[in-house]
Amino acid sequence: MMRYRLEKRPEPSKLMLYGTPVAAVVLTMILGCLLFSAIGYNGLRAVQEIFLTPLTNPYKWQDLGIKAAPLIIIGTGLSVAYRANVWNIGAEGQYIIGALAATGVALMTWGMSGWWILPLMAIAGMAAGMAYASVPAFLKTRLNVNEILTSLMLTYASVQLIYYLIRGPWKDPMGIGFPQSRLFSEAARLPNIIPGTIVHLGVPIAVIVALIAWFVMSKTVFGYRMRVVGAAPHAARYGGFSETKTIWLAMLVSGGLAGLAGMLEVAGPFQRMVPGFPTNYGFTAIIVAFLGRLNPLGVIVAGVVLAITFVGGQVAQTTIGLPDEATGIFQAMMLFLLLAGDILVRYRIRRVSPEASVGAA
Amino acid sequence: MPNRLELTGITKQFPGVLANDHVSFAVKPGEIHALLGENGAGKSTLVKMIYGIMQPDAGEIRWNGEPVVVANPKAARKLGIGMVFQHFSLFEALTVLENIALGMDAKIPSRELESRIREVMETYGLALDPHRTVATLSVGERQRIEIVRALLLNPQLLIMDEPTSVLTPQEVEQLFTVLRKLAAEGCSILYISHKLHEIKALCDTATILRGGKLVDTCDPKEETSRSMAEKMIGTGLKDIVKAEGRAFGQPKLVVNRLSTGKTGHFDVPVDNVSFTVRAGEILGVAGVAGNGQNALLDALSGELIGDDREAITIDGHGIGLMNTTERRRQGLCAVPEERNGHAAVGDFTLSDNSVLTARDRLGMVMMGLINSGAAKTYTGKVIADFAVKALGPASTAGSLSGGNLQKYIMGREILQKPSVLVVSQPTWGVDAGAAAAIHQALVDLAAAGSAIVVISQDLDELRALCDTLAVINMGRLSAARPVKDFSVEEIGLLMGGVHGSMETA
Ligand SMILES: Nc1ncnc2c1ncn2[C@@H]1O[C@H](COP(=O)(O)OP(=O)(O)OP(=O)(O)O)[C@@H](O)[C@H]1O
Ligand SMILES: [Mg+2]
Repeated sequence: MMRYRLEKRPEPSKLMLYGTPVAAVVLTMILGCLLFSAIGYNGLRAVQEIFLTPLTNPYKWQDLGIKAAPLIIIGTGLSVAYRANVWNIGAEGQYIIGALAATGVALMTWGMSGWWILPLMAIAGMAAGMAYASVPAFLKTRLNVNEILTSLMLTYASVQLIYYLIRGPWKDPMGIGFPQSRLFSEAARLPNIIPGTIVHLGVPIAVIVALIAWFVMSKTVFGYRMRVVGAAPHAARYGGFSETKTIWLAMLVSGGLAGLAGMLEVAGPFQRMVPGFPTNYGFTAIIVAFLGRLNPLGVIVAGVVLAITFVGGQVAQTTIGLPDEATGIFQAMMLFLLLAGDILVRYRIRRVSPEASVGAA
Repeated sequence: MPNRLELTGITKQFPGVLANDHVSFAVKPGEIHALLGENGAGKSTLVKMIYGIMQPDAGEIRWNGEPVVVANPKAARKLGIGMVFQHFSLFEALTVLENIALGMDAKIPSRELESRIREVMETYGLALDPHRTVATLSVGERQRIEIVRALLLNPQLLIMDEPTSVLTPQEVEQLFTVLRKLAAEGCSILYISHKLHEIKALCDTATILRGGKLVDTCDPKEETSRSMAEKMIGTGLKDIVKAEGRAFGQPKLVVNRLSTGKTGHFDVPVDNVSFTVRAGEILGVAGVAGNGQNALLDALSGELIGDDREAITIDGHGIGLMNTTERRRQGLCAVPEERNGHAAVGDFTLSDNSVLTARDRLGMVMMGLINSGAAKTYTGKVIADFAVKALGPASTAGSLSGGNLQKYIMGREILQKPSVLVVSQPTWGVDAGAAAAIHQALVDLAAAGSAIVVISQDLDELRALCDTLAVINMGRLSAARPVKDFSVEEIGLLMGGVHGSMETA
């Protein structure tokens, strides 16, 4: 029996560190092509439709924009938290709760008009996302419960809350029995910024959020705190950054941004709450954060890359009949290859001599 | 008989630094060979290449007469080269035996391994119970694990990079006995240390590096510590200038019944400690590592916050409930023992490391924004004033040699002109010239009216530096007395006695 073990490399190269995301995307295309060929599709065509068509077909660009926007906003928040080694996996839940809070405001102000309705919805969305993220933060800081599990589990609770609300109290009176909320009134819908397209205000907001986050992470004490806690927790304590406060801040920022993304999504593309609202943006944003190297500028690029796979997945469904799940497979492959690549950049694989396994304790 | 190890023209270039410049020398079988040099002279880099951790850019390594390429540490071990690092790589929660088994290249049944370990320990008089958990062991005992690990491979060359910086005098003596026995059996030893009297006592030959170049080879037995230090630096060595019979001011730092609960997993807590340091006074805390020094430092720095405001006061203000940032504002700065990952972040630039502790006292933050210009200027001043060998404020802390990082950290705190400074092992791994400079800076800081606490295991350092001295033992601190009242034997005995009582197991 052969044994292998990982050995830390003395000096991981900078080039490799930034090269892995690119390599992961390219490898995903190659492996995806082989995989879908093996199960009887035209693999080359599949990769082409998923990764290239969204870029070459100008009609798809607006789709890219509105898909990338929530991914960038949530991914930015997650990149901030992950820098500090706070593993908020439940952005999807915070995103849903943020959208529900915004929906609540939209329904309460239904029929009214005024410029203040959208900002109020945004504030409600962020506050709700933060509140939802404070549950894992509280459990982690008070009882040392792993935030990965709690934040993830709360996601499932949030989905049930949608179903309850739109079947019960928020059910559209005119909806002929459909479980959905009523259509928001004009003042609660995001304005389009490019006439004749579906590109809404959320798209520029996403870019602005990422730019602000980049500035905050590289130039402020807040960003310094996140970086130092992630790089050397012991040194952070010595420098006066308490771990508890950092966990709270990381959770609140990532939860608040996820909530904002939820508000923008429900007030933009959806304009009402429907059972199909959860589209896993919160989970995909985890890939976005890592693919962007936990750097908000990188997150913008990574958000677009993942948006391409969403849009391309839909294209491939209609043109070559690829199953709905294909997009997920490509995205998962990308994350897997990225993480594997990261390990190989930091460590190398060593073979332990064959006699090694004999009598191992 | 061919030389055990022969280096010819070994050269290693780092970005901006020529760490080794055509270094050539030979080590004979059974020879104990010292490698001396200032901080950043290139000693660690050189032995890392011999052990296969790094590859030379140019030059040849001959092993028992044959030219070899040492691709990695495993290849080095195969050749018969063992190395003991200053920082041990041990798992605290595992036993001695498990730790050794994990480090072996080939897995050996644990019964057989245990009997071989016992055999090695017997031969070399290394007392250690293979079934004890590492967490319960003193630093000296932990080092023994690393030595046993190296000896199990029957090395023909053993490399030791600053092995004694954390050992008590007694442990140093035990180590030397082992090394002498090994040498007598024909194993060569390459020995790096900044403690020159140890070199005199142990080594047959000394090779001296300066700025990456080999500058001299000498017989340590024929030199004095001072003459070797001057060979290393290339100029004369300065003595500490300390005014005799200085008068101290008002009590500045008063610690009253300070206790820490059980902290980390295996740290010894501080138990009901009281002492006073006056303005201008340097108080030394002597003791064997692992007797509560870390907890004492953390409790004073504010990393560990107690529940009694008045347990620690500065100029009468209770600071017992403040965190590190608030205490720094009150004028208390601290330097913990561990530099990597605690006093400094290896992946960050020196500028960013200055932000870690100096941001408030030096106005590096305005409304939450970091003024990187101010951080850079201050870092440049630390580098210049403390002669830190670094390319500049943008170098990462991890790229500095051990002693240079220590100089930077000490400089970063001292130049903040704290009114109370607490330091642990201020000259750990620092060369003789730099140690003198750091000592002088501490004496000057005290002369300007600061109260200073120095926690150290180095008796020579404490005697040269401190005005008063106390000994820490199992978390308790003896009453402080003027350092002149202690004889060398007495402190040694106090610390040795402490150690003896720890070893009953
Ligand atoms: N990974 C690295 N990257 C860049 N420079 C490095 C690296 N490692 C060492 N250096 C530089 O090489 C020089 C020699 O370092 P080295 O660690 O060999 O010194 P040393 O003699 O062991 O010093 P000390 O006594 O302080 O441990 C130093 O100037 C150091 O900054
Ligand atoms: Mg060194």
